[in-house]
Amino acid sequence: MRVTANSDTCAVSSLCVYRVPGVFDQDEDGLVLVLDESPAEALHEEIRRAARGCPTKSIRVVEESAAEGAVELARGDAG
Amino acid sequence: MSTQTPPRYPFAWTPPMQVPEALRTVHKTSAIEVTLPSGDVATLVTRYKDVRALFADKRLSRNIARPDCARISKDNDLFMDPNIDPDPPEHTRVRSLVTKAFTARRIEALRPYVQQVADQLLDEMAAGPQPVELNEALAFPLPIMVICKLLGVPPEDRDQFRAYVDGFLSVTKLAPEEVGKCRQNLWKYLGDLIDSKRENPGDDLVSELIRVRDDEDDSRLNEHELHFWTQGLLIAGYVTTASQIGTGTAVLLHHPEFVRAIQADWSLVPSTVEELLRTQIMGSSVGTMRYAIDDIPLSDGSVIKKGTSVLLSEEGANMDPEVFDCPFELDIRRKENHHMTFGAGLHYCVGAALARMELQVATESLLRRFPDIRLAAPAEELPRALGGFMEGFTEIPVEW
Repeated sequence: MRVTANSDTCAVSSLCVYRVPGVFDQDEDGLVLVLDESPAEALHEEIRRAARGCPTKSIRVVEESAAEGAVELARGDAG
Repeated sequence: MSTQTPPRYPFAWTPPMQVPEALRTVHKTSAIEVTLPSGDVATLVTRYKDVRALFADKRLSRNIARPDCARISKDNDLFMDPNIDPDPPEHTRVRSLVTKAFTARRIEALRPYVQQVADQLLDEMAAGPQPVELNEALAFPLPIMVICKLLGVPPEDRDQFRAYVDGFLSVTKLAPEEVGKCRQNLWKYLGDLIDSKRENPGDDLVSELIRVRDDEDDSRLNEHELHFWTQGLLIAGYVTTASQIGTGTAVLLHHPEFVRAIQADWSLVPSTVEELLRTQIMGSSVGTMRYAIDDIPLSDGSVIKKGTSVLLSEEGANMDPEVFDCPFELDIRRKENHHMTFGAGLHYCVGAALARMELQVATESLLRRFPDIRLAAPAEELPRALGGFMEGFTEIPVEW
């Protein structure tokens, strides 16, 4: 899994920082920072939840599976 | 085509602990027309998918100071300041000045203070006679103390501005002249506060905003904006959290089985707080008023026409059966709970992390301190605030 985030659209909800603190952080202005772009597998589900829950869809998760290559998860809904 | 008057909005929560029938059936279409307390008609967007998308849609302007935009109240120009542009790029400029005060790190640094205030309020509650009215004992004083600390408002002023704010947020509760008086008093109060901070700056958000106002070039924040946003932070940081602490706790105490579950496993506090926020029984979505500056298609194929006044139904989204299993049930263990109570997109509530922290501290501290706490009146008889911006319970007697 590859995790990136767009600080231009970040609205400082802090949700990702609370959900997965070792992977997400905030700069002095509160904008999202990704601390670990290739997080351990145990964190993947929480990271997907954080991405789905981001109010501005500023978190991008690219799943890397050997069979299918890189597949980006849709960021649209929180379902 | 029906010629009937569209249903009244906000939907009435009567009886108080039951989801209104209108809300249970509102997802049949993407939007319905509703009649506001002013008598004006607006379009209420009802489904999660649409509400979430529209919170981030630039075709919906948040600037509602337009002659043809629906009004919430005919007695009060709520959120309609023609001198303020709450759309980008103006909004973005102002917002970036305040967000840094609300980062997770800064909110966590405030947690010990919030805990200390909560403990002190609960001490006072324990020392007095029973039953205790929870709004006065905990729900209102806690967020007032916290926002005073954050903004640098002297705590002794809090009763005064609480009264002004109550008037400011009147929809039909007060006569127009009373509303006007409260608004003038609040504005004057803020002017005095800003003047005193200018002379004696402190380590608080108002002093920080004044520094930005005075030190930087004028494109940063003008005097009116400084006033307006200080007022906004003060109001938003207090009334909403206070209503949610009181009303959320009342709902929780109405379900003693959940109280026992939390007392057996304190890690349930955050998900409980989220679930009480999702079901947000204390309010409606009148504060989400927008104005369509273009035609906007919705998920059911209907179209919001340019020039329409639009409300985004947070409570509709939060109870959308497409997104939430058993949406009308309170489930304190709900895992995936991306509710819309704080909005979405670039206007997402800047104080959300602060509110969550206060709600967690208040809920856990209360249930730890008073293990047998319960409502001292039947839930069906708790009075609700009517005619105000917040519709939580006005009296919540508790005993233990």
